[in-house]
Amino acid sequence: MNLPCAPRSTISLTPLNTTTAAAINTACAQIAPTWPLDRFIAVNPFWSHIDTPFVDVARSLSSLSGAQLLMPRAWFREQKKAGHFTDAHLQEALRLCGSSRTLAELLAVLSTERPAPAVRARVTDVVDASRDLVHEVSWRDHVIHSISQFCAAFFDEGQAQCGPARDGGLYASWHRQLSGDRAPELLCGLNTQTAATTLPSSAAAMIAEGLATLKISADDEVDYLESLLLEVNGWASWCAYRRFMARLEGADDDAIVELLAIRLAWEVMVFRSAGTAIAARWTLAMAGWRSSDDHAARAIDDDDVFLRAIELAYQKQIAAQLPSGLSTPRPTPRVQAAFCIDVRSEVIRRALESQQADVQTLGFAGFFGLPVDYRSIGAATARPQLPGLLAPRLHLVDTGVDDVAADRAARLQHKSVWGAVKTAPSSTFAFVEAFGLVSLAGLIADSFGWSKRTRTDDEGLSAEAARRRKPRLSLVDVDERADLAAGILRSMSLTRDFARIVLLAGHGSDTRNNAHAAGLDCGACCGQTGEVNARAVAALLNDPAVRAALVSRGIHITDTTHFLGGLHNTTTDDISLFDLDELPTTHQPDLAHLRAVIAVAGGRARHERAPSLGLHRAQHDLHKAVRKRTSDWAEMRAEWGLANNASFIVGPREHCQHIDLDGRAFLHDYRADEDEGFAVLEAIMTAPMVVTHWINFQYYASAVDNVRYGSGNKVLHNVVGGHLGVFEGNGGDLRIGLPWQSLHDGEQFVHQPLRLSVFIEAPTTAIDGVLAKHAHVRQLVDNGWLHLLQVDAATRQVQARGPTSWTAFV
Amino acid sequence: MNTELLLVASLLALAVPVIFALAAVVIAAGAGRVGVVATVAAGVAVAVAAGCAGACGFVSGVKSGVRVDAVTAVMVMVVTIVGLVVVRFSRTSLQRDPGFRRAMVALLALLAAVCTVVIVNNLWVMAAAWTVMSLPMHQLLMFYRHRPQAILVAHKKFITARLADVCIWSGVALISTTVGSADLDVIAVWLDTHPLTTSLEVAAVLVVFAAALRSAQLPFHGWLMQVMEAPTPVSALLHAGVVNIGGFLMIRMAPLMVQVPAAQLLLVIIGTVTAVVAVLVMTTRVSIKVMLAWSTCAQMGFMLVECGLGMWHLALLHLAAHSFYKAHAFLSASSTVELWKVKDLAAVRAPASMRRFAVTLLVAVVVAGITVGTDPTPARVTLALLLAFSVVPLLASIKGDRISVMFTVVQGAGLMLLYVGGHALAERVVAVVPAPAPVVSWIVLAMGLVVLFVFQILLTRRPLGAFARAMQPRLFAGFHLDERFTRLTFRVWPPRLPAPTVAVTLTTLTGES
Repeated sequence: MNLPCAPRSTISLTPLNTTTAAAINTACAQIAPTWPLDRFIAVNPFWSHIDTPFVDVARSLSSLSGAQLLMPRAWFREQKKAGHFTDAHLQEALRLCGSSRTLAELLAVLSTERPAPAVRARVTDVVDASRDLVHEVSWRDHVIHSISQFCAAFFDEGQAQCGPARDGGLYASWHRQLSGDRAPELLCGLNTQTAATTLPSSAAAMIAEGLATLKISADDEVDYLESLLLEVNGWASWCAYRRFMARLEGADDDAIVELLAIRLAWEVMVFRSAGTAIAARWTLAMAGWRSSDDHAARAIDDDDVFLRAIELAYQKQIAAQLPSGLSTPRPTPRVQAAFCIDVRSEVIRRALESQQADVQTLGFAGFFGLPVDYRSIGAATARPQLPGLLAPRLHLVDTGVDDVAADRAARLQHKSVWGAVKTAPSSTFAFVEAFGLVSLAGLIADSFGWSKRTRTDDEGLSAEAARRRKPRLSLVDVDERADLAAGILRSMSLTRDFARIVLLAGHGSDTRNNAHAAGLDCGACCGQTGEVNARAVAALLNDPAVRAALVSRGIHITDTTHFLGGLHNTTTDDISLFDLDELPTTHQPDLAHLRAVIAVAGGRARHERAPSLGLHRAQHDLHKAVRKRTSDWAEMRAEWGLANNASFIVGPREHCQHIDLDGRAFLHDYRADEDEGFAVLEAIMTAPMVVTHWINFQYYASAVDNVRYGSGNKVLHNVVGGHLGVFEGNGGDLRIGLPWQSLHDGEQFVHQPLRLSVFIEAPTTAIDGVLAKHAHVRQLVDNGWLHLLQVDAATRQVQARGPTSWTAFV
Repeated sequence: MNTELLLVASLLALAVPVIFALAAVVIAAGAGRVGVVATVAAGVAVAVAAGCAGACGFVSGVKSGVRVDAVTAVMVMVVTIVGLVVVRFSRTSLQRDPGFRRAMVALLALLAAVCTVVIVNNLWVMAAAWTVMSLPMHQLLMFYRHRPQAILVAHKKFITARLADVCIWSGVALISTTVGSADLDVIAVWLDTHPLTTSLEVAAVLVVFAAALRSAQLPFHGWLMQVMEAPTPVSALLHAGVVNIGGFLMIRMAPLMVQVPAAQLLLVIIGTVTAVVAVLVMTTRVSIKVMLAWSTCAQMGFMLVECGLGMWHLALLHLAAHSFYKAHAFLSASSTVELWKVKDLAAVRAPASMRRFAVTLLVAVVVAGITVGTDPTPARVTLALLLAFSVVPLLASIKGDRISVMFTVVQGAGLMLLYVGGHALAERVVAVVPAPAPVVSWIVLAMGLVVLFVFQILLTRRPLGAFARAMQPRLFAGFHLDERFTRLTFRVWPPRLPAPTVAVTLTTLTGES
């Protein structure tokens, strides 16, 4: 299949004066990347704003785009009524937020509605203000639609058979087609044929000319340019992703600058077509920008205190339970089971532990520390199996099936040839008459959930070959393998007292006909399932040569221990085990024991999750009912993913094992007393903590402003460019973030949007050391993007990190 | 025996719309569980329709105001099956939507209206049901009333539907005043025994326009392209079960149409232009649902061409086949990402050289010529050409490896066999009205196919050539046909769009503080 790919574009900003060039770079840097649907990992859309306090960002974005970063007050009132926070929490939140308000004043604010945002006007808004928008298409909508359609065509990677000429990059390609675009003339009365000739031919020159024509003062340049990008935030985020990926490889991509030039070109065209009166009106509008900022500052009136109060209430609940946890580590168990830090693991881990069956569970990032990509047998491309922030350093490949490689490659290739026949103009009419009636079988089978789903990795393979396939690390050097293994075990805080069976369980979801399916898979594996990582790490740790080499690295794994790769299906709570043919016969009884334990655990986890899925806990066929959802092509909420996540607990599991964390907590095992120089702590705070924060804020942003930071209604979703993202309905901007159905059950939010509360069991000095060393982590804490709490190892008392110091949390 | 069976068949046919209508009423009245009532009704409707279709295999005729024949049988089966699948899909996907009940009522009412159009013998009743159809459709298109796009689409659809109403009602009026009856069986007999009048010729043209308008032919296609403003199952039903009603109307009107060559030719021209333009526009679409929508537009054009050529059985085959195909494609639209992932695993294959392409084309045309052989009727020549063009890209892409050869041969042969077999089946099922279409009609279609093939080659193999550079933007813009229609709408009969929700700060302009 010949997938067209937009060329990487780099443009020179040198013709511009340095302040303008800097303004462009700053504005473009404000946009966070969004990953494509097949790698739909979570991103904090405000990531570039973490150097500014959360509330200030809420205010500035409200003025720049109308974005809402706080829930409406009606929601806070409901939360208070439901008892999720009390006046006492409000009182304390007032103090913590440094507000001078009294409680009575705050309650008075709570009983009112927040004023609608006032947004800084752009030229299109000014012109729209004097048009009859009840009977005309607004410039705002038309420009978004027009840019969005063009970007989709330009960046398309597999939908259209015939795309625009992409030479010269985004701006040049757009500029070429502009003069033929009659839509603005037909719908809004703007002749682009003449307008196009007056526009510069390079993006940099366009921006310079635009800023000059519109007389944007140097002070306003960054805000104005950012507000333009926020109008097409979806595509801006896509361009930011291209730039992010290019930079990960040491290159660069300037499509985001060209997008900015295109949006500014529309401003200029609309400005020039609006007659002579526009100049004065535009000057007035620019003068009104400050009042828009002031309005936002007034509108968001201590709303963050309400949020803080709910978060306090939640934190206190956990802090109150921590002291009663176990204090002595238990003796070596029969089974150790490591799961991803994902909040869904908390439920199944509790279900495993609650059986008193000598099972100890651990939490670790679900890629199990393998910085890899994975190329399945015969495939032409590899996909990342590691967190999106990292570039793969090593490779996983399929072993044991070399004989079918050529066969599969040919099958895959032919499949895409046949796919093209279905829709090619010359064959589609005959195709429908020949195969249309046959498709009735598929229609019925899919409707009744009878059709079998072939996983992408098994596509083009026989069932036998799919079973035989073993994903393994392609690394051969024993020392390097042992170094990798030692690093993984140290990061897991698992360097001694190995059980007879150590299960490494990755996780993956199982949904049908779901454009956002990757968002339910493992974020640490770049939106893939964790199966291949778990299997490869287990094989690595079972390798006798690696075990021998580990001895010199201070880690002794004896023959009595066997590592087992597994996969936790988060939709059904089944756990599958892999590579059982390599299990020594001595371990067969342990396997039987493990199987029995995970079967019971699955049942308990399903029982716990049933009500949220609209199922009855008592129903005897719960397992079947849950499984049925995985094959239902109409199911919009097969599982709730990471909804309602609220905390991240870093410490020994036995210290919080007794708490029912309700599937809201990310859990990472960590033993400060074994962490020399706090290198592991540093790794946790700079990687998993940032990732959990990204997930937390993806959910937060999607819930508080689904129009701008969520992807809307799933039944309207319309996949763009094969995998780039979705439109909601016919068009509009590319949508980023989570669908409405992932957050809301039709009656209420299932995700309570709270900022992440991170509890770390480590000395405050060590934590402060990491904060001092890593500015972005410090900014997250200091600017209120997450809450950092410390748990004392001996007393389990909690301290919260305030703006300047640690204060006891009571 | 036969009269009894005829009565049974007619009553079963009548029961189908009644079941849908009853279920709609029950749900609208707030009784019963919405999902259960709707699913049970849709399931029973399929069973009843199957009974009716079975009976239609043995008898045909008119009873209780119902036409009992193969067309009725095929249509009720198609509509009820698509109906059941769509109702089941909606039951799950919309269950927790605040408008769930409203959606189900409209879906069932729409199905009841479509089934009524399909079974009745009297044109007045058919026209009435035809008009009634647009009410639940309007409800469904406006399902998300806060979306300005949805309002605009529903409005455009409303205007198109009213134009179609004018055409069909005046057509029926002309027919019934001329013939003295609006019953299809009476009309057929009358046409056999009387010379054609001008009023009937006008009626035939009006009916063609009604069909073209309802089948979203250019330039009245805009609303169909934008129905993704409604939930996925609604799009699926409109594209698979409703938009094809224009083709059905033509099939029902066959006895009249064959007598009016001008109307037939008009149909061929409208259909060919739409098929060719729409399928080329389709190749430039960037989102899955819009791509599917343009595909529907093109397929409907092709179906109308088959009607215009008097190939009624093929039109019915196309209608049924397209319904199932498109219902499946729409409902599984979100699986696009899965398909993309598989595609992404395949190595990029260099396209076949132009020379190889030309040789394959030559071979295919020669083989087609030999097949047509001794009896080169325009129909056989054109259909052979269509088939040849269909398999050329597949055959040209063949590689030397075992898998490629095996699949290409199996799929190429499968395509041709199923195509020919489908035609044979359709010919058996539908008693074909002999309708020698004039050669010029076939030439129009053949020319359309050649244009299509040439454009496809130039656009996909020379994407940076001068032709593609000039053509792609025009196709991407859909030749601005819909924008023109929208502008006309705004001028003549503007929709009321909701005022924008985002307030921009223009306080200094208005003088407010």
